[in-house]
Amino acid sequence: MKLAGLMTTSALALTMMTPQAFAEVTFGALFPFSGQLALLGEESARGLEIAVDEMNAAGGVQGEQIVLERGDAVDNNQAIGEARRLISLSGVKAIFGSYSSARSIAASQVAELAGIPFFELGAVADEVTSRDFKYLFRTNPTADHMGKLIVEMIVEKVAPGLGKAPGDLKIGIIHEDSSYGTSVAGHQERYGKEAGLNIVTTMPYPAATVDMSSMVLDLQSRGVDVVLQTSYQNDSVLFLQQASEAGYKPSAIIGGGGGYSMLPTAEAVGNDVIEGVLDADFTQYAVNTDFTPGLESFVETYRTKYGMEPRSGHSLNNYVGALAILKAIDAAEGLKPDQIVAAVSAIDIPQGQTAAGYGVQFGEGNQNQRASMMGMQWQDGTLVTVYPPEAAAAEMRFAQ
Amino acid sequence: MNIFLQLVANGLMLGGLFAIISIGLTLIFGIVKVVNFAHGEFLMAGMYLTWIITVGLGLHPYVTVLAVAPFLFVLGAMTQRFLIQPLLLARDDHVQIFATVGLSTALINLALLIFGADIANTPASGLRAPVQIGPVRILEGQVYIFIAAVLLVIGLQLFLSRTQTGRAIRAVAQNRAAAQLMGINVDRIYVLSFGIGAACVGLAASLVAPLYPVSSTIGTYFVLTAFVVVVLGGLGSIVGAFVGAMIIGLIDSMAGFYIGSDLREAVVFGVFLVILILKPSGLFGTRVSLSHIS
Amino acid sequence: MQRTETFAPPAARPVYLRPAALALATVLAALFLIPVVVGDAFIYHVFITICIFAGLSTAWNIVGGYAGQLSLGHAMFYGIGAYAGMILMNMGVSPWIGMFAGAAVAVVASVVISYPCFRLHGPFFALATIAFLEVFRVLALHFRDVTGGAMGMMIELKLGWEWMVFRERLPALVIAYGMMLVCLGVAWAIREHRLGYYLVATRERESAAKAAGVQTVRVRLLAVSASAALTAMMGTFHAMYLTFIEPAAVFSLTFSIQIAMFALIGGIGTIYGPLLGAVLLVPLTEIARGALGAQALGLHGFVYGVVLLLVVLFMPNGIMGALSRFTREKAAETPSQAGPVVSMPRAETRPPLGAEVMRVEGLQKHFGGLHVTNNVSFTLREGEILGLIGPNGAGKTTVFNMISGFMRPNGGTVSVLDRDGKMHQPVSPGDFAALGVGRTFQIVQPFASMTVEENIMVGAFYRHPHVNDAREVARETAHRMGLAPWLHAEARGLTIGGLKRLEVARVMAMQPRILLLDEVMAGINQTDVRRAIDLMLSIRDTGVSIIAIEHVMQAVMSLSDRVIVLSSGEIIAEGKPQDVVRDPQVIEAYLGKDFVHADH
Repeated sequence: MKLAGLMTTSALALTMMTPQAFAEVTFGALFPFSGQLALLGEESARGLEIAVDEMNAAGGVQGEQIVLERGDAVDNNQAIGEARRLISLSGVKAIFGSYSSARSIAASQVAELAGIPFFELGAVADEVTSRDFKYLFRTNPTADHMGKLIVEMIVEKVAPGLGKAPGDLKIGIIHEDSSYGTSVAGHQERYGKEAGLNIVTTMPYPAATVDMSSMVLDLQSRGVDVVLQTSYQNDSVLFLQQASEAGYKPSAIIGGGGGYSMLPTAEAVGNDVIEGVLDADFTQYAVNTDFTPGLESFVETYRTKYGMEPRSGHSLNNYVGALAILKAIDAAEGLKPDQIVAAVSAIDIPQGQTAAGYGVQFGEGNQNQRASMMGMQWQDGTLVTVYPPEAAAAEMRFAQ
Repeated sequence: MNIFLQLVANGLMLGGLFAIISIGLTLIFGIVKVVNFAHGEFLMAGMYLTWIITVGLGLHPYVTVLAVAPFLFVLGAMTQRFLIQPLLLARDDHVQIFATVGLSTALINLALLIFGADIANTPASGLRAPVQIGPVRILEGQVYIFIAAVLLVIGLQLFLSRTQTGRAIRAVAQNRAAAQLMGINVDRIYVLSFGIGAACVGLAASLVAPLYPVSSTIGTYFVLTAFVVVVLGGLGSIVGAFVGAMIIGLIDSMAGFYIGSDLREAVVFGVFLVILILKPSGLFGTRVSLSHIS
Repeated sequence: MQRTETFAPPAARPVYLRPAALALATVLAALFLIPVVVGDAFIYHVFITICIFAGLSTAWNIVGGYAGQLSLGHAMFYGIGAYAGMILMNMGVSPWIGMFAGAAVAVVASVVISYPCFRLHGPFFALATIAFLEVFRVLALHFRDVTGGAMGMMIELKLGWEWMVFRERLPALVIAYGMMLVCLGVAWAIREHRLGYYLVATRERESAAKAAGVQTVRVRLLAVSASAALTAMMGTFHAMYLTFIEPAAVFSLTFSIQIAMFALIGGIGTIYGPLLGAVLLVPLTEIARGALGAQALGLHGFVYGVVLLLVVLFMPNGIMGALSRFTREKAAETPSQAGPVVSMPRAETRPPLGAEVMRVEGLQKHFGGLHVTNNVSFTLREGEILGLIGPNGAGKTTVFNMISGFMRPNGGTVSVLDRDGKMHQPVSPGDFAALGVGRTFQIVQPFASMTVEENIMVGAFYRHPHVNDAREVARETAHRMGLAPWLHAEARGLTIGGLKRLEVARVMAMQPRILLLDEVMAGINQTDVRRAIDLMLSIRDTGVSIIAIEHVMQAVMSLSDRVIVLSSGEIIAEGKPQDVVRDPQVIEAYLGKDFVHADH
């Protein structure tokens, strides 16, 4: 009896948690706010929050102020639960998310079945947009863009800079073995083969590892010239440190996002070790700002709001994606799902017009076909954009 | 050949790391007969403390051991006194296991709450400098860890065999009831042993922190490896833990090179399972029954 | 309350179960009705999650609770089910079929994994299961051709009952609810039948369970198989519900711990505890997440950990444990005085001794260089009482262990007459039990957490596989042994005398033809010794042969037809009791010169 009472009470409590107010429109912010992915989940959400603040300051969307309802997608089952909660209890008009590809795939399924638009601003796996969903849009560049950019960078910049033909470089790919590393490495291999690169080894490893010395020895003994690593923070630090300690100095190390773009990584390994290391990632902050209008004011707002420097480019890219979407929703005829979808589908922002540099236009599978990554290099303790040339803030350097 | 030597050197250094982390675990294991699933989180707590003191006061990380080891001693003693001791008479092992699992969950999330999800870097203070010995390169800090592990093993052995308290601890470990009859305060010995075991982790934390960045989840990886080491070495055997750590370090290093980095975990756990099934008393284990029930 | 109890027929369940049944029905009904009535998608999700976790925890409890094997790797079976369903679905096979395929694979895996791990208990079994889980996860990552590797697997959105994927929420709830009921049903059936009693007995005392004829390995494997199959089927459904799986999420240690935690909080080893745990904790988690989760990193996980600690400290037997303590306090106190052993009416004349039922020839046993048993031979006839005496350390219990299958002799044979009239040479405790050899242990081995009745039932099941028959026999036996007043008391609460009687009662309930009694009279009072002697004589008169190790000389003298004296592992005298005690060699062995040898 008591139990049944409790059940009813909790069900009621859950039902009554719905906030309702006038002249407000609620959107869901579905990110991993706790658990292993919390750091970058939070960082991503900040970009969305800044975009929402900016819209609200300018009068909201369609005259209504935007309220963000947070959902914590700590695991896949939870992502589904939170998506359901946002849709049915909070009555959100759309969901923004989600940093993690696995959470995105799980939660967007719910949104699709419920007919609520889902805007992915940061997850990179191909599978997110390979499902031909009607209500799912992705603004950010993907694993495919990353693999492609890295290979282009090797062919066009690194090889000439080292004074070698691209095919003569021995390339070793190492990657953490979750979906992120695996999919980026897959694209690196594919584009690398197309470009005629000589990939001598591909080695996955678990991101939680505490020792990579065996892998370093393996790369060393194969004489690898260019190491491509796709990694999180801990393993980026570990590899850079252990490589330098083993006296292994490849001609170039190119990181794929994750730990390579983060200042704590540089602090952890020291400037002399990370100097010259290349990185492909979402647009970061040291970039030719002619190509990224709005970047400086974003950084300014971020500093004021959170009292620190942005910790990675995730916030910027979420901001850019969210802002483009919110502006489109503002211009839509109403807030019904199909009206939102129609407005978003019509977005047409050319390259060089957003704070991240890339334009927005949705193509196949509702993927932003203008999205692209950028190539960066650690120079004198900061991460400077060096590729593509139109966005470059400095020239790529090579140690001789 | 040079590669092989380097692999062996890496393996031994990794073994030193595993050893210094596992010794406290095997001590608690052997005496209190409790598997401390929160052991990795003790390490994490110690590493954070090392980081705070080093960064805050600008001290050499090794100096912090003077604060970290006592802090962990207290943490361990309190865990025993307020968490494990009330459960020692519990119906079965389930509750003890869940108690330490709960403690582990709480500590991980507490760290997340306090320190956020960022990694925290203890200044290396020159400990990351490579040392060239013949054809192999190893880190200064790794050498110190290895030496510390050896000294810790010797020190604990002497403590357990030469001192009154040490002998009392051994008596309790061998036969709780008999020790009680001989007038030994068993509960006090348990609290003391848990504290000493945790203090060993404190020592490990101060030594490891300059070499590895600390995050809230760092304990998880180490603790599983430490379990493997302890079971391989034999229940409660300190020398066994050391030898076990060396073996696991070598296997880890070799498997990473010859088999593949993604499968090395499977190899290590495979070895663990084979040992558990074929020789559950481990390499140096006494004929202790693993059964707590019958 | 009391009145109801007085008039309740003896076979009825204790009274408190009736409101409990009502509460159970209410919870089960609420689980289905609340989401249907509220009709909200999120509420549906919460309740589907409750059903999934309740089902998983219930399945886990069969191994972790009943069998006492603390698995922290149960996610591997869940994962096998999830992957089997997913892979087959993408090949065009309905998950309804995939579910059983997954279950079959999980059963095979569980047997292969568990068999070598059964000698490990408590934390070691837990560690082994964690290690297996890690191995599974790494392999799932590695073999990406089959599993999709780290990228995971997705299903095509084919809707409908056939594919277990729906746009509406009700059907998913119906399936989750139905599967949870199946899990509960299986758990209930196991617990209420012989298998459940055997599992708990094995958990409590493996050796005593073996002596009671329980094939301990077999029953555990059955439990693990059932648990793995149910877990895998749940996994298949959950994969369809999530529409996406990946190794990190599926073969997850956190997930395994969560499953076990619901059972712990509800009450490990009880039928409905896991259900209760999930019903209370899942909504609580949801509310906590809503209230805390987004505020600060880790706060919600911290609260979770602390709650777990508090439950462990203050409610180690879970909610069910707390509830039953509450109800038990209300129930009448069990009588505290020693009940008398009922004197049995005995036949006037004793039947003549029958044929040889056991023949022991040249039994040898040595540990290292030490001969514990040296060339021991004797025979036992039907209806005979054979006393086995000797100083401490003479090797009496070792001989017992060898003639009941608990220890293999290094040499010599033990033959037991079967009902078909042929001599057999049994090997394992199970073989001996099958031939009608029952034994007690010198150090009593009760199934501590079971009631006296249940203890005896474990023995009774040997001849009476049905619960009601076994209960009947157990009650009868308890009555004969003077244990009737404590039928529903937990065995752990008995005095040493009571435990000795319980030990005999459990063996008697097996209706053995040969009874091996190891010091059943040590430590009981004079009156009880007298009654125990009467009891043994009456047992003998029913044609049962008895070998008794005994120190109480009064009992030995008045009971035994024949006495064997063992010293330093050898038979030094054999004959009628009154002759043997006068044997100088015997006197020497007991009192004097050879003392040092005899003692060790």
